[in-house]
Amino acid sequence: MSAAQVFAVVIFAAMFIMIVLDKIERHYVTLGSGILTLGVVFGICMRNGEAIWNTLALKGFATKDFWYQVTESESKGINWATIIFIAGMMVMVEGMAKAGFFRWLCMKIAFIVKCKTIPVFITFMIMSAVLSMFIDSITVIMFLAAVTVELAQLLHFNPVPMILSEIFCANLGGSATMCGDPPNIIVGTSIGLSFFDFLTNTGLCAAVCLVISVIFLYFAFRKELTSTTGEKVDISKLPKPSEAITNKKDFIISSIIFGCAVILLITHSMTHLTVASIGLFIAAVTLLTSGKDAPGLLKKVDYKTLVFFIGLFIVVGGLEETGILELIAKFIKNISGGNAMLMVAIILWVSAIASAFVDNIPFAATMVPVIESLAETTGVSLHTLAWTLSIGTDIGGSATPIGASANVVGTAVAAKNGYPISWGRYCKKIAPATVIVLAISTGYIFLRYL
Amino acid sequence: MSQLIISVGREFGSGGRVIAEELAKRFNIPVYDRHLITEIAEKTGLTPEEIERYNENPKPHIIARSVRGFSNSIEDNIAEMQFDIIDQKAKSGESFVVVGRCSETKLKKYPALVSLFVLGDMNEKIKRVMKVYSLSEEEAERLITKKDKKRKRYHNYHCAGHWGDSRLYDLSINSSRLGIDGTVDYLEQYIKARAAAMK
Repeated sequence: MSAAQVFAVVIFAAMFIMIVLDKIERHYVTLGSGILTLGVVFGICMRNGEAIWNTLALKGFATKDFWYQVTESESKGINWATIIFIAGMMVMVEGMAKAGFFRWLCMKIAFIVKCKTIPVFITFMIMSAVLSMFIDSITVIMFLAAVTVELAQLLHFNPVPMILSEIFCANLGGSATMCGDPPNIIVGTSIGLSFFDFLTNTGLCAAVCLVISVIFLYFAFRKELTSTTGEKVDISKLPKPSEAITNKKDFIISSIIFGCAVILLITHSMTHLTVASIGLFIAAVTLLTSGKDAPGLLKKVDYKTLVFFIGLFIVVGGLEETGILELIAKFIKNISGGNAMLMVAIILWVSAIASAFVDNIPFAATMVPVIESLAETTGVSLHTLAWTLSIGTDIGGSATPIGASANVVGTAVAAKNGYPISWGRYCKKIAPATVIVLAISTGYIFLRYL
Repeated sequence: MSQLIISVGREFGSGGRVIAEELAKRFNIPVYDRHLITEIAEKTGLTPEEIERYNENPKPHIIARSVRGFSNSIEDNIAEMQFDIIDQKAKSGESFVVVGRCSETKLKKYPALVSLFVLGDMNEKIKRVMKVYSLSEEEAERLITKKDKKRKRYHNYHCAGHWGDSRLYDLSINSSRLGIDGTVDYLEQYIKARAAAMK
């Protein structure tokens, strides 16, 4: 191994360990690691200015393809399209939250089913999955879990099974689309896939799995969902959905912007607008229509996550430029003996197991160049490997309380309201549900693509 | 009497908790230590024993994660609940003594706060722990080291300052010098002087 390869691996491994240990905020970890990669790996070891330039990928902004893409193209280094899209969605979601959209939607659905526990349980699971197809699962769970706790206190039921099911369905829904979960955005923008590509491939798989999951979770939790007091609740005494709306004008505007974002995403393979353009457009419209609230919305954007992404892409760029990821691809090729089924099974289950314990974003970012290399050398379709990687990382994250951001936020909201969820409590029903969905997904990929 | 908040940090075996209880009696104000656990137990439906397992414990890094200020660690959430409870009590104008819970940092913004740290000589702490917990000398020393290590990790995880660092407290005192009663007498005088200066 060359010095550059050794340093690239050491920096990557140290970064991963630091992220897992969670002692230093993860954006400092990835940014520091990214700077080390640029300085030590590219600068000192490789003395390669072009590698630095390729990894920073700044010239992409000036190309037409970055904003308007007729043919599929792949990206290397910092995936600016992912970063701009996520930033745009953050601005839009802040606008929606401020107007009371999410709380209104949750309360509205609860009222439609007359606040009956089991129908609320089922509709909230479906709503969690559907919203997570378009909005980041952290936001979805933050609001859904808070409303679930509120309803649980009013209707006297234990909110924990419902929150766990919502988390599971949010991760499942996130796997259905290109913008549902960060690994999908990374996979999609890196290898030039569209929203519609995801919807008709991972989306179909997620739909089948959602039906099975709702049935499984219903039977797993039905005994815990009965009212603890047995009293009948007068729903006219509950807070009305309309009370959630803080400002009617803002509510209407944010709902329209959300609708536009959904349409733009669904049609982007036809309009040829890239996700970067869509992200920038919806952020600009949200800010323009927010008037004096615009600086407040910008302040609320989670810049730490954006910095985390930038650092991460540089470190992965280091592994890519030094050829480490090609070595990993060769290793997978060798152990699978070129057998496509074995290769898919390895990628799906290893991604899932890894994502259950470590952040699935760095894992997905690392694996994208690996699957590209595998597709080139083995002839297995890159798209098949992309769906496999997305499903593995998205679904695997559900298995433990730390596997995905939605799990952390959901369990934290429950704990803050007096319902702490231990690892044992979380994994008892959710880990088996994850294994079932992964097994179904494996079968789906085998049957449909191999 | 205007508001008085006495925060008592302590080394295990130094008699800090007993000193805090005695100060509470002398100033006729409540002391919050295990009471906070009972309060959280009532709020969460967990048993005090279950909460005790997570109380003043640092979060286990490998199996815990934080996202945008949310943490899945029960230790973190129980700590936050305790910080909220003491903060609400302080905000309400109540006078009280609080033992540990990073209170010297978490309540620093309140002018009524008097923060103390009680330490002790190792041989004196061992004698005390041997007597209170009926342990051998070796067991007592091991327990002191273990408990102090845990308190230090918990404190330093939740606060910027270092546990036991005299710069963090208004007064640090070695209870082995004057004994428990002598230390309480001395602290009573100090707190009275501080209360007078607050007026």
